[in-house]
Amino acid sequence: MYDDIYRRGSINRPPTPDAEDDQIQEKQLTFQEIIDIKLIESGEKERLKELLRERLIECGWRDEMKALCRAFAQKKGRDNVTLDDLVQLLTPKGRASVPDSVKAELLQRIRSFLASAAI
Amino acid sequence: MLSFWHNFVDTIFVLIASKGLSLQLSSHFFGDLLDSIIVDVASECHRIARLGLDRNLEEEEEEMRLSAQARLRVADPSNSSEANGKYIVDIFGQNHPSVASEIFECMNCGRSVMAGKFAPHLEKCMGKGRKARLKVTRSSTAAQNRNSRGSPASAYSPYSNSTSSNRLSNGTSSVAGEEYSNGAFEDP
Repeated sequence: MYDDIYRRGSINRPPTPDAEDDQIQEKQLTFQEIIDIKLIESGEKERLKELLRERLIECGWRDEMKALCRAFAQKKGRDNVTLDDLVQLLTPKGRASVPDSVKAELLQRIRSFLASAAI
Repeated sequence: MLSFWHNFVDTIFVLIASKGLSLQLSSHFFGDLLDSIIVDVASECHRIARLGLDRNLEEEEEEMRLSAQARLRVADPSNSSEANGKYIVDIFGQNHPSVASEIFECMNCGRSVMAGKFAPHLEKCMGKGRKARLKVTRSSTAAQNRNSRGSPASAYSPYSNSTSSNRLSNGTSSVAGEEYSNGAFEDP
């Protein structure tokens, strides 16, 4: 399911910044897909996601996000809220409010995997 | 064909070794993980909102706000602290005297007693403490001394025969009465 999201970008969210050079980007896309497959097949992607989820709960990030959603739903009216609304609401704020230590830990884990997968 | 593959593999290794690419890739994958978690949270909140499951949370939030306010009041240095005297301020801002002052009746002896002094009173009242027990034994031995001095013919002195024998020789006995039973005594 998540692979579809990567390729189609079907859920409306602010676009991620693009790499400048198209040629390199094309190679990177191939790279990304290969590494993505390796991540999934080895089970590391699931482990990384669980680790990130746990850290985000511990630091209160998840509670903040839920409070944002509650406030939004109260204003807009419970039955008028769509999933798209909430994703659009949470994506910029969620990305901005991840604590640096959490981000650093996950980046380190991913880079270790990249190093080990290349060999 | 083979040389193409060798070049391709070499290029890949070079690129992987490059730290910049590693950082960019890991950022990309981190973003993917985060986006997927955001979708999870959004979908859970969407469900809660549509099913109206968060009604109880509003009450809890109100209570948390009140307790946070109360905590601020306690932390405020301008309030009276424990060092200030005998009054203690709790998180609701109420004052308590250090000795409980409510007065009620002791259920053992019936006396009026102050709540803060009830425990020591009960110790004396119910005979639990050392002093209370000594007090009880002293009063019982005093009662025994009083009894033996006042009446020598009491049940506690089994060896006093002199007075009873006196009574027998002075008064008319039933034995003496039977000697006159020629006809003057009538059986009751």
